[in-house]
Amino acid sequence: MRLALVLALVATPALSDVTKALDSHVLPGHAGLVAATKELADAAQADCTPDAVKPSFHTAYDAWIRISHVQFGPIEDQGLSLAMSFWPDPKDSTAKALARLTSAQDAIVDDPSTFGEVSAAAQGFTAMERLLFDPQPDAAYACKLTQAVALGLANKASAINAAWPEFADLMRGAGGDSNTRFQSEEEAQRALYTALSTGLEFMHDQRLGRPLGTFDRPRPRRAEARRSERSLRHIQISLAALEELALSLTDGALTETRLAFAEARTRADELNDPALEGVADPAKRFKVEVLQRAVNDVRNAINTEIGKPLGITAGFNALDGD
Amino acid sequence: MTSRRGFLAGVGALVTAPSLSWAAVGNPIALSGARLPDGSDVLAGIDSTGAMTFKVPLPARAHAGAAHPDYAEAVVIARRPGTFAKVLDCASGRVIQDLQTPQGHHFYGHAAFSTDGAYLFTTENHMASGEGRIGVWDRSLGYRRIDNFASGGIGPHEILRLPSGDLAVANGGIRTHPDTGREKLNLETMRPNLAILSSGGSVRTVAERPLAEHQNSLRHIAVAPDGTIVCGFQWQGDPFDAPPLLSLYDASSGLRTVSLDDDLHRGLNAYIGSVCAIGPDSFAASSPRGGRVITFDATGRVTAHHRALDVCGLMPSSGGDLLASDGNGRVHAVTKTDLHAVAHHAAAFDNHMIAVSPSSPV
Repeated sequence: MRLALVLALVATPALSDVTKALDSHVLPGHAGLVAATKELADAAQADCTPDAVKPSFHTAYDAWIRISHVQFGPIEDQGLSLAMSFWPDPKDSTAKALARLTSAQDAIVDDPSTFGEVSAAAQGFTAMERLLFDPQPDAAYACKLTQAVALGLANKASAINAAWPEFADLMRGAGGDSNTRFQSEEEAQRALYTALSTGLEFMHDQRLGRPLGTFDRPRPRRAEARRSERSLRHIQISLAALEELALSLTDGALTETRLAFAEARTRADELNDPALEGVADPAKRFKVEVLQRAVNDVRNAINTEIGKPLGITAGFNALDGD
Repeated sequence: MTSRRGFLAGVGALVTAPSLSWAAVGNPIALSGARLPDGSDVLAGIDSTGAMTFKVPLPARAHAGAAHPDYAEAVVIARRPGTFAKVLDCASGRVIQDLQTPQGHHFYGHAAFSTDGAYLFTTENHMASGEGRIGVWDRSLGYRRIDNFASGGIGPHEILRLPSGDLAVANGGIRTHPDTGREKLNLETMRPNLAILSSGGSVRTVAERPLAEHQNSLRHIAVAPDGTIVCGFQWQGDPFDAPPLLSLYDASSGLRTVSLDDDLHRGLNAYIGSVCAIGPDSFAASSPRGGRVITFDATGRVTAHHRALDVCGLMPSSGGDLLASDGNGRVHAVTKTDLHAVAHHAAAFDNHMIAVSPSSPV
């Protein structure tokens, strides 16, 4: 008994059960997305012209970015990831999909029950951004599309959110007799950790890496949501959200992780370059590179302080490059 | 009447082969490289329940290799740019033979036995020309190298024997050189292909994807009982701009793509780690980068898809089931409706599960 007590005192900080992450981060995040997309749909219904819709567009897109790192569970089971936001989009599938609908004057925009069948690239926030921030020669059709996309986003957010309580129970009940989805508490924790780790990797490689390109060939037009000048904002929102997730995964001090997040957030806040256009300016580029390195430091920190205790070796096969 | 093999076995006992069968080492259905917590590397045997039936030490991280059809003997080849290829007695761990490539060649990680286990074929690089080669080794002569021939392309990776006795080679198209490690030297001009060769080296067919997809490196292949070959690719360009990563090949229709819906396609992260044929009409593919396993039928229709972190090795189990291994030591059973761990070992399983399939009786 005494030995067990001594062992308990010197044990490394335990990973929390998943309840904290679910209740303080995942579930509220999805509920927030439902509320914001509903407001967007209502706003578009009332007045579908760009300037009228832009404020609620920004709020809803923020809500999406806050939770978009959770790519497992209902959104995956329902295959809605790309339909929420189609980015990166190297072939500009978004423009093509919107152009197809417009040139055909496709009446599917009037039918919310079937709009979900159009190309994923025409359904999400990336499509909405084009409608609101790119000149629209066919204003009347663009208006209808705006309403259809907004309503579609609200419907998708609802569908994903509605499935979460049951999925959350599966995670809470990990290791239970008939639970084949999560056969141990550790598996549920790993799913959350993967969301955290992949979110940071995405930020590093895609949100920052794509526009950075190389020194000789920067690619500012590859920045996410550059038309609405949200590129940097997505990084700031995502950093805050991922930090919240990280802190909810363990009772430990997470000293290195907190420091790394603080540094990255400071770098991002100092950047003053909403569409990351500075990547093409030799004098400003280094600031974006510094931010990218700071994000890498966060990845290392969470790997050490959260991944390792979970027994996750960072991708023995994934990193092999066979 | 003494068989040729029996005669040569008598002559100087050049091959001191174990007469132990796979049953003697626990009837594994697959072999896999694995890394232990102390950093050492082993070759492990896995049975249909996911249990480890044996493990023998390796000098360094291996990639893949081949299991002899009859004896508990396996060839294990180093992970590039390593150069070892060892024939191991899986019962004792003894190195039966060390295979050395000739000057100017190095191994590419994969190998295959002939149907009767008499010959071993290894994929290799001829460094000076960058041409892919296939090495041929005669087991009855103590695995003496007796031949080598062109692989039909650059960067041959996986090789397997077909039901017809011919060989199929996945020529990945990427040129590397040991001096520069794993650096890819020819991405602008690469042209991968699937080559079908006779066991004597005559080229029967070379199948390629369209030129626009020339950076889609063919790395891994598996064959179904009817000869259909499933092909898994790794796209060398922008991961968000990847063409289809899976194809099915048969002689009459050539290479046809397996089309996945956008979400699933993106989920593979432009990288297929391993493929297998589960039955005549069922195939599987894994992406350790996307953390996904998918199964599909011969028309290319997806029948199931599951998430599993760092999953890679695939092996059909009895009765149409599928096992998958991952870098966190788990062996999973994969069915239509779910993927769940059946075993958890203190080891990181490497990319591939090598099939242990006894040859048919003569």
